[in-house]
Amino acid sequence: MLEVRDLEVAFGPVAPLSGVSFSLEKGETLGIVGESGSGKSLTAMSVMGLLPLSGGRITAGSIMFDGQDLTNLPEPAYRKLRGGRLGLITQNPMTSLDPLQKIGPQVDAVARLHLGMNASEARARTVEILGTLRIPEPGTICNRYPHQMSGGMKQRIVIAMALAADPDVLVADEPTTALDVTVQAQIIRLLDDLVKERDLSLVLITHDMSVVAQTCDKVVVMYAGRAIEHGPVEAIFDAPQHPYTQALIGCIPKGLSDDEHLTGIPGTVPNVLNYPKGCPFHPRCTQAKEICATDVPAFVQHGNGQAACHFPGAPQ
Amino acid sequence: MTNLLEVRNLSKQFKSPGGPFRKARAMHAVNDVSFDLPKGRVVGVVGESGCGKSTLARLILRLIEPTDGTLRFDGEDLRAKSPAQMRKLRANMQMVFQDPYSAIDPRYTISRAVMEPFVVQDRKPASKPEEEVAALLRMVGLDPGLASSFPHQISGGQKQRVGIARALALRPQLLVLDEPTASLDVSVQAQIISLLEQLRDDLGLTYLFISHDLSLVRYFCDEILVMYLGRVVEALPDTDLPARHPYTATLMDSTFAPDPKLRRIITPLEGEVPSPFDLPPGCAFADRCPRAAAICRTETPVLSSDGGHAVACHNPI
Repeated sequence: MLEVRDLEVAFGPVAPLSGVSFSLEKGETLGIVGESGSGKSLTAMSVMGLLPLSGGRITAGSIMFDGQDLTNLPEPAYRKLRGGRLGLITQNPMTSLDPLQKIGPQVDAVARLHLGMNASEARARTVEILGTLRIPEPGTICNRYPHQMSGGMKQRIVIAMALAADPDVLVADEPTTALDVTVQAQIIRLLDDLVKERDLSLVLITHDMSVVAQTCDKVVVMYAGRAIEHGPVEAIFDAPQHPYTQALIGCIPKGLSDDEHLTGIPGTVPNVLNYPKGCPFHPRCTQAKEICATDVPAFVQHGNGQAACHFPGAPQ
Repeated sequence: MTNLLEVRNLSKQFKSPGGPFRKARAMHAVNDVSFDLPKGRVVGVVGESGCGKSTLARLILRLIEPTDGTLRFDGEDLRAKSPAQMRKLRANMQMVFQDPYSAIDPRYTISRAVMEPFVVQDRKPASKPEEEVAALLRMVGLDPGLASSFPHQISGGQKQRVGIARALALRPQLLVLDEPTASLDVSVQAQIISLLEQLRDDLGLTYLFISHDLSLVRYFCDEILVMYLGRVVEALPDTDLPARHPYTATLMDSTFAPDPKLRRIITPLEGEVPSPFDLPPGCAFADRCPRAAAICRTETPVLSSDGGHAVACHNPI
């Protein structure tokens, strides 16, 4: 359905993203994980064709969607695709709805634009979609303004907008980060059901390894603008090969024993302007040796997954 | 073990004055909350947004005035103190705020931010100011060279460390931590939690830790209070105890384990927290509760204890 190969993105002379590859089948959920500043959202923006808006451009690689390469798709054609067959769920439901417009017209606009429906057809569709998202009294909700609703409800409206034109691929950029745990559980369940019922392909971007463990089939771990490990979710959690992946999993309290100890990952994600030489993670890596500071590691196969590390699988 | 803090029947109502187009209403943000915070312990308060946990934190430091109830800190009755006496006492009880991005004045250097408590309290640090700043920054794992930087030049995790250094400046006994990691990445959250553990051991601090993340609270705290709509619905004296209140059980079910083998079908809690303005009669959780019976909608359950494990439910698990 969607295949990204060796994607490289540049803003002027700076290349914050390079060598990102992944593929996604119908009905599959792919997780992209990493800390803030690792390039997750930039990857999502590249797929959605939103880079030119912020002054970036794709300098290498390809994004194949249903047989066509999106990297050189002209903007009018992209406009048809975006919000249509490619749906986007943004991170912050508080700011992704127009505060001055009622919910109904905002969701209607998608079906009118992409499916050519008239006002009453579009409204009927909106009410139907809100209903399938288990929003109580969808008819009344249409006449409300965003500020009259809770965060979880707003996030459902954003999901309804992404679904209104029957997308094939849904990109969800940290859809639950701003929400309470109980609401997060509701939204994750909803996305899970949608993927199964509609045979959707979902790209789920998150920094939380426990969300990945709960929902994804495949995982790409990103660090400093590169994919550093990818593979099926069971393999990644069973035997993480890259020290960064191991550290990310170690950041979540499991609550199983009293002598569990969280350490976090020392240091911070490097700035785009001075990515370290060699392996980008080596300054924070506990396993780093001399070669890590000089040579960029190549991907090493491990089972069905791959990790870019000179010493993959080394114990923590 | 002596209690550093004793809270009894603490309540706070916010009144919304009526006008030509609406009636006057009262919101019960915190309702009849009682608990003890023994010296050297870490008590966690969990609940969803709007359950009153941040209001509780502010009430304890008397940053806002309680409507009712008593507060005893280190044997002294806090509510009997004048504002000037209260200000002095606050040197012993400090707060770390949720959002490090807005908790530090953007025009202050890090060193000025860390020294601010001394200015507020009109005190002189024991050593030279520069040495004091360096010592405080080292204590929270920051490079003393950052002293002359401005908040926009450092990362969110570093800002939260500055917030902790500022709270520690006057060597308090109690730290009230209001969701100190909610706006940080998981990797940075783990760093901050590990720093707080180390500071507790080194300085003998007592923490009141407020969070919406039950798995984090179970990891970090010794005791847990679960709040729902302003009331404590369950008090767990030990974090390994199984939940007895259906709400606590739901919170536990809503957290995911970082292991795909433990993946499960989530049955999320339906509905949302009701408005605190028009509290339904009976148990506030009844409308969302899978175990609700007729009595739950008419009578408010009281918190009753069974060997320290207290639960406010007519039909506990």
